[in-house]
Amino acid sequence: MSCWRVVLVKELRDGLRDRRSLLSLLLFPLVAPLLVSLMLTQVVQRATGKTQITVPVAGREYAPGLVSHLEREGFLVIPAPENTLAVVRENEADLVLVVRPEYAQRLRTGRPASLELVIDASREDAAQSVRRVRAAIDGYGATIGALRLLAHGVNNELGQPIKIEETDVSTPEKRAAPFMNLVPMFVMLAAFMGGMYTATDATAGERERGSLEPLLLTPARRFELVLGKWLAAVAFAVATVLLTLGCTVAALSQVPLHRFGMAATLGAADAARVAAAVVPLTLFTCGLELFIASFARSFKEAQTYLSAMVFLPMLPALLFALEPMRMKAWMPFIPVVGQQALVTAIIRGEPTQLWSYVALAAACALTGVLAVLATARLFSRESIVIGR
Amino acid sequence: MLEARSLRKKFGDVVAVEDVSFTAADGAITGLLGPNGAGKTTALRILGGLVRPDSGTALVDGLDSAREANQARARLGMLPDARGIYPRLTARENIRYYGELCGLGGSALERRIDTLVELLELGSVADRRTQGFSQGERMKVAIARAIVHDPQNVVLDEPTNGLDVMSIRSMRHFIRHLRGLGRAIVFSSHIMQEVAALCDRIVVIAHGRVVATGSPEELKRTTGLDSLEEAFVKLSLGDRFEAMNETPAANALGERTVELR
Repeated sequence: MSCWRVVLVKELRDGLRDRRSLLSLLLFPLVAPLLVSLMLTQVVQRATGKTQITVPVAGREYAPGLVSHLEREGFLVIPAPENTLAVVRENEADLVLVVRPEYAQRLRTGRPASLELVIDASREDAAQSVRRVRAAIDGYGATIGALRLLAHGVNNELGQPIKIEETDVSTPEKRAAPFMNLVPMFVMLAAFMGGMYTATDATAGERERGSLEPLLLTPARRFELVLGKWLAAVAFAVATVLLTLGCTVAALSQVPLHRFGMAATLGAADAARVAAAVVPLTLFTCGLELFIASFARSFKEAQTYLSAMVFLPMLPALLFALEPMRMKAWMPFIPVVGQQALVTAIIRGEPTQLWSYVALAAACALTGVLAVLATARLFSRESIVIGR
Repeated sequence: MLEARSLRKKFGDVVAVEDVSFTAADGAITGLLGPNGAGKTTALRILGGLVRPDSGTALVDGLDSAREANQARARLGMLPDARGIYPRLTARENIRYYGELCGLGGSALERRIDTLVELLELGSVADRRTQGFSQGERMKVAIARAIVHDPQNVVLDEPTNGLDVMSIRSMRHFIRHLRGLGRAIVFSSHIMQEVAALCDRIVVIAHGRVVATGSPEELKRTTGLDSLEEAFVKLSLGDRFEAMNETPAANALGERTVELR
């Protein structure tokens, strides 16, 4: 058996026996997709307005007509608690409607009857409820006004010189997009984090344990030692990516996206394309991690260096979020950026070309091998054993 | 056979090895004796090809350890200063890993591991993960993996460090066994008794230089001192040894001065 395979087998066995490395392998793929699907479910529920809005009303006995109108519109009318201001301030209710005793009398005599709506304007989450309750009350008032004019023989339309017709072009898909854009970031984070533990343990960890010097005294070539360690890290990273992707597909299938009129946002075919784009990224990430961790003398030192590296996959994600870019011809030649562009395109349902996958895989493999060669050079230097 | 020829190595401004030459013959135990920081470990790292000398050459069976490092290492089994083993692997797996890296495999490797386990008395713990091994057990695993490829030349850098009396005894027994097989053995230590009890030849190193070479008897004769320990101290301290021996006299003189006053 050649040396790199000996190292690969040993590192895999060692890693699989380590609870910490297994935890880092499993934790992220399970938690991240769950998070996305939870957020998406929230979006769907709000957008489709399935949640019934509760309207606490103080003095409902003074306005039976209004209350029955609200109930007909689908609101749940309940008696308001004593301290109406405090209830809204403490976020216990989105709003409270207060009807004063003189309301009925003023309405009967044709004078403006005021209603008090207690709201908290700083609360974004309550804004939609407030808007809908206002619309319902306005609608009630408009109906009464129209009836009054009609009783005097006046056409209601005279009072409406202008009428605005709104056309909303936003689709539920677009509303879900910000959350769907998290998917490429999570899958790429998986590629970065999956091999990190093994890459650190196999370099800085060996140095810290004092097992690197004896290893370098074996007749094995440096390049083969590093190659084996690299492939072991890649194996863990690929497992993490596939697991994350699988869990994402499973979690998304649980989100009631069909209410948006979407079948499934990330089907098996799309998932396969995402895997084809992101799996080669592990060659690059693990090579880079191996190289960086080789400078560190201890596990902790290496983790400090590498935790800064986690921002790398977020950079293009941020860039794409700030300025939505289309796939450009140079992108598939740059690891990380290429993945971001490809996965974003896949999720948007845009077509992708085969050559961009091939170019991206080649770019990742090339940079990965370069990192392995550089690490092998580091392993040949004296400073790797002295100055522990 | 191991040969060091006028080795010299500087790290920055610090001269770690000034001028070290010695020969370790087959079938003999050569002791590298010197205080901490004398340059023993650096000299041995040059032999292992981990450190390149500024000048001079280190030869393993005639192979240059700097230019033909991997061929030289194939004929060298070295227990270095750092001797960590993998805690999640069993003792046997630790040894097997190194065997496979040396190109061994199959039943030949398994037989070799069995031999080493028996020789080093690792039998009871051989199939246990090395996490929680005692210092002595860990040292035995480290030595077993270093010589799993049955090399002609064996270098042990302070192999008795931190071991208890029983472990040291079995270590000596094992090193004598290797000599019986005709191996060339270099054994470094800063402890006089160890070297005296075991070595056929002693190379005394101080301040990066070889200050004396010979059998324990020869060393006593050349320094003109009866005890080997005295000889060692004299050799390692050089001129300062004379100064130190004069101190009692100086003190006596000092006391007299006080008396006179």
